[in-house]
Amino acid sequence: MAQRRELIKGSIDSLLLCLIDQQPIYGYRIIKELERRSQGYFKFKEGTLYPALHRLEKAGLIRGEWQTLPSGRQRRYYHITEKGLRSLVTERNQWRDFLAAMNLIIQPASD
Amino acid sequence: MVTVLSRYLDSVRENLRLDCSLESEVIHELETHIEDELQELREAGLSEEEAANTCLKLLGSAKVVARQICEAHSQGSWSQALLAAMPHILFGLLFALNWWRGIGWLLGMLVLVLSMAVYGWWRGKPAWLFPWLGYSLLPVVAAGLLLLYLPQGWSWVAILIYIPLALWLLYSITVKTIKRDWLYTSLMLLPLPAIAGWFLAVEPINKLPQHWLQRMQEFAPWIGLTFLALGLTVATFIRVRKRWLRVSVLVVSGLITLTMVAYYTNGKLSLPAFLILIVVMLLLLLSPAFLERTLKHTGQQSAT
Repeated sequence: MAQRRELIKGSIDSLLLCLIDQQPIYGYRIIKELERRSQGYFKFKEGTLYPALHRLEKAGLIRGEWQTLPSGRQRRYYHITEKGLRSLVTERNQWRDFLAAMNLIIQPASD
Repeated sequence: MVTVLSRYLDSVRENLRLDCSLESEVIHELETHIEDELQELREAGLSEEEAANTCLKLLGSAKVVARQICEAHSQGSWSQALLAAMPHILFGLLFALNWWRGIGWLLGMLVLVLSMAVYGWWRGKPAWLFPWLGYSLLPVVAAGLLLLYLPQGWSWVAILIYIPLALWLLYSITVKTIKRDWLYTSLMLLPLPAIAGWFLAVEPINKLPQHWLQRMQEFAPWIGLTFLALGLTVATFIRVRKRWLRVSVLVVSGLITLTMVAYYTNGKLSLPAFLILIVVMLLLLLSPAFLERTLKHTGQQSAT
């Protein structure tokens, strides 16, 4: 369990950048989307999500913007920035290489 | 909003230590999140109380959330670091380049320091404000010291009126900065031990002005160097993220600058005076933490 938590912790920035790249999204929706798409594997607590979002925003990788809904409620939507897009390309490549290498080692030999 | 959740947000706010505009934005974002969460839990069939408790559990510790958000924002940019270090650098240059005897330079510096302090205070007390604020309080201390030179009989009247007023002003500003973050109060008070050290080394009391002007002239390059070291400390403080590192930077800098004073004055600052200054420095830099705790405790008691 602790190992899984560490794995998630190490990949949180990539997960958030990927999700925000697909569409501008707000905090609550991010938690739900990650849980739905990963079929319950990624269950983020708010205490993990918001510090990470603020860290990415401070680093200039995403940008938060308040939007008022027709109901009058406000939500802070996150958009990816140019810098964030460049960082995402690098991270995607790193993940691809990492997963390919892991599969080569972890998968049982076929012969 | 349900009371437990309002209390949760209050606790986050108390521990955030961010400037006002950023703080209200973070709290508002968490508030909208909680509203969404509560709505979904109620739609799933939970009672108001059950929904609030489940939501609280999902949110995690208010202190941890606040600390992590605060850490994400606490690292200032290089330009903020430079702006925060600027009053120390300017004071350093004032002495290093021997401009301190020019009344024009001193007045210009005073106007700049006061303007920056007022501007920063008005802009929601950003981190770069506090060194400027510290220097803006120096004229209050300097005026108090000048009272010692008033003719006999007048000085005690002035002291009786001036000292309580000055102490009240210093206390009220200190309390206001502690409410922002006690570490910024320590940042504000940072140059005081070094100034006190140089003051004792120059020995202006019961001596002719010519004597201490000569001493000042003699020490000016080293006084300048001490302020430049303080500038470097402040820039480092603004750039580091972890709180414990910030505390260490302040304490180590206090020790280094006092050692510099003792070293460059060639024994004119006696060992007992040096040791007393170190204790005073530690008290000055760390007592805001205790004062913050006391203020919070008093605030909670009056709220209940």
